[in-house]
Amino acid sequence: MTKNKEKIPPVVKLNYSKGDLIIKAGDYGKSIYEIISGKVGIFVESGGAETRVAILGPGMIVGEMAFISGNTGTRSASARALEDCWLEVWHPAILLNDYKKMPDVLRLIAGQALKIIVRMNKMVVELSLKQGKHKDRQTQKLSDQWADKRKLYRKMVSLKCVFRPANSPEELKIRGIIRDVSMGGLRITVDRLGFRNYIPIPGDELFVSTYFESNQKVNMTGKVVWLKKGGTDGTISLGMAFTQMDPDDRKSLGFFLMT
Amino acid sequence: MTVNSQVLMYIVSEESFSDKAVIIKEGSIGDWVYVILEGRVKIKKQTSGGLLTVDTLSEGDFVGEMAMLKQGNSTRTVSAVADGPVVLGLLDSVRLAQEWEAQPTRIKKVISNLIQNLEEVTKKAADMIIASK
Repeated sequence: MTKNKEKIPPVVKLNYSKGDLIIKAGDYGKSIYEIISGKVGIFVESGGAETRVAILGPGMIVGEMAFISGNTGTRSASARALEDCWLEVWHPAILLNDYKKMPDVLRLIAGQALKIIVRMNKMVVELSLKQGKHKDRQTQKLSDQWADKRKLYRKMVSLKCVFRPANSPEELKIRGIIRDVSMGGLRITVDRLGFRNYIPIPGDELFVSTYFESNQKVNMTGKVVWLKKGGTDGTISLGMAFTQMDPDDRKSLGFFLMT
Repeated sequence: MTVNSQVLMYIVSEESFSDKAVIIKEGSIGDWVYVILEGRVKIKKQTSGGLLTVDTLSEGDFVGEMAMLKQGNSTRTVSAVADGPVVLGLLDSVRLAQEWEAQPTRIKKVISNLIQNLEEVTKKAADMIIASK
């Protein structure tokens, strides 16, 4: 039996791969992470879309906001590894005594900084959502292309597919159903549960895999040009314009459209 | 918000500013810290589209704390401008600096990082405001 309840847990080092979630917004947790190597992105979610508010690198601290806010300890933002990272994890107990002993004035200053960061993050997210409506020029161009090409033959289908953001790890798989497809792009529906881990926004590049015939796997890469919420069942539709396709896959698609 | 009694004990002098007076100028050097005793202060940032208000602080809030707590130089990264008549309390910078320096490394790292985040999100917010105009 150990009775070392007050013993401060040791500092540990953890390794994260590109795309891994380090902190999830809304979760409980007060550990603080110091980035030893690699880059970490900070994301704030609002209205179903994730907005990146910061990119942090070696020597910088992640997760200090829940510690400083103290009371609930829920995470206000998510942190995701943008590349393979080593992080040092500090249990809050390591810092808590020192933080309590700090002069009031320093603690108040830290509290004010936190309050303003939360306020500014909210403003950044609101502004970026507003601007999201005006697509960036490249996405707009793709959208026009998509509309043009889709005037060509569009085949109505019901094909199971899996997809993921093009820059995410392969393990991430979102299931959807391709509803129609043309040489220019396709439309996928996903039930709401499909988007537990990731919610696309226009401009995101997705990697989609499906089978046209029972044994003919086809991969397609494209950019999301629009997103629409379906009826009461919470289904989400997304339109995608192809940006990249292997010549063989393109040929398969061509044949598939003709048959 | 009222001014915390602990903070009042750090005040070495009171300074009054009239409406639109520049209290801190972005790009200048300095690490003294004020607390707002009366009135409001606008925080402004220089952008490609001109000087932009990114936040407004009121009684009990600190002004100028970023330059003191960040690592490295003490260049001001925002301007502070009086929004109507303002009374500020100047805090004892020697005492503050000594107390800050005496903090354990990890605590200093966490707070410096917080200030750096504040600096970055302020810049980002200013850029976004300009882009949305």
